[in-house]
Amino acid sequence: MRIACPFCGARDSGEFTYLGDASPKRPDAPIDGGTAVEDQFYDYVYLRDNVAGLTREYWYHGGGCRSWLIAERSTTTHEFKSVTAAPGAGAAKAKQAGER
Amino acid sequence: MPDFVWSSQSPLKKALVPGRHGAGKAAPGVSLSHVSDIALVQVMTRRGRNADVAKAAKKLFGAEPPAALKISSGKVVTLVWSGPDQFLAFSELPQTAPSVEQQEQAFAGSASLSNQSDGRCQIRISGPNARDALAKMTSLDLHDTVFPVGSAATTSIDHTAVNFWREADDASGNPVYVALVFTSFSDTLWHLFVESSLEYGVEVAAIGAGH
Repeated sequence: MRIACPFCGARDSGEFTYLGDASPKRPDAPIDGGTAVEDQFYDYVYLRDNVAGLTREYWYHGGGCRSWLIAERSTTTHEFKSVTAAPGAGAAKAKQAGER
Repeated sequence: MPDFVWSSQSPLKKALVPGRHGAGKAAPGVSLSHVSDIALVQVMTRRGRNADVAKAAKKLFGAEPPAALKISSGKVVTLVWSGPDQFLAFSELPQTAPSVEQQEQAFAGSASLSNQSDGRCQIRISGPNARDALAKMTSLDLHDTVFPVGSAATTSIDHTAVNFWREADDASGNPVYVALVFTSFSDTLWHLFVESSLEYGVEVAAIGAGH
């Protein structure tokens, strides 16, 4: 299996490490937000969808350019639909998408 | 207090056995050498400072920072792409390249520098069968149309991180590849290079014999 790194091109999957689901967003909540916030964090930290089909996931090109990537992959066919740089990869942009 | 004298030595002091090894008596299929005296600095651009780094590199090295998957050559220093917005500034000593201090001054505020001169070991692989030997251990496509002279990659060889690039062909028109590996892994990879080349006949140059 090969993964097309946006920086290096198509590379052997052995150069990459899988991290996990890229969909969860960290809740933007006050520190003492009560049980409602606790529930949100419980979801964010522990709960994952077990998708049959297209997922967004983090991959790390540790055996290559050492960039974090976001891949759209089908869990049923293992086809990679797209691989893009995760926010913060590289230094070209003064501020990356998703960065505060 | 005893006085210590620190002297640097080649990480391949034990592994490298000069001379002819493996098959055949005719011209060797693969030539291996260790480029032992190098100056190497990792340059990593800081957020949004690409233009400043390009300007400083041009002034200091006479070369633009390399495009992705490429090297760029100045008069003395070769700049090797090592990832998005970062490169290695490499030169063979004793050529008079800008010192690390000069580089630090030139890139002050625009890039973060790390001196890797003694941290990496440079191995040069050339010859008519160099590509055949490398094909056993790298997943890179090294065909001329995909990896021409001036190409660079960061990849893994035998589970070890390697900076890899292709220099100008040698006098016989054979390809010349360069692998930059962590010194602590160089012994292992050197054995791998030699073993993989034995069937083609391999000529190993003595340390310090140049290339």
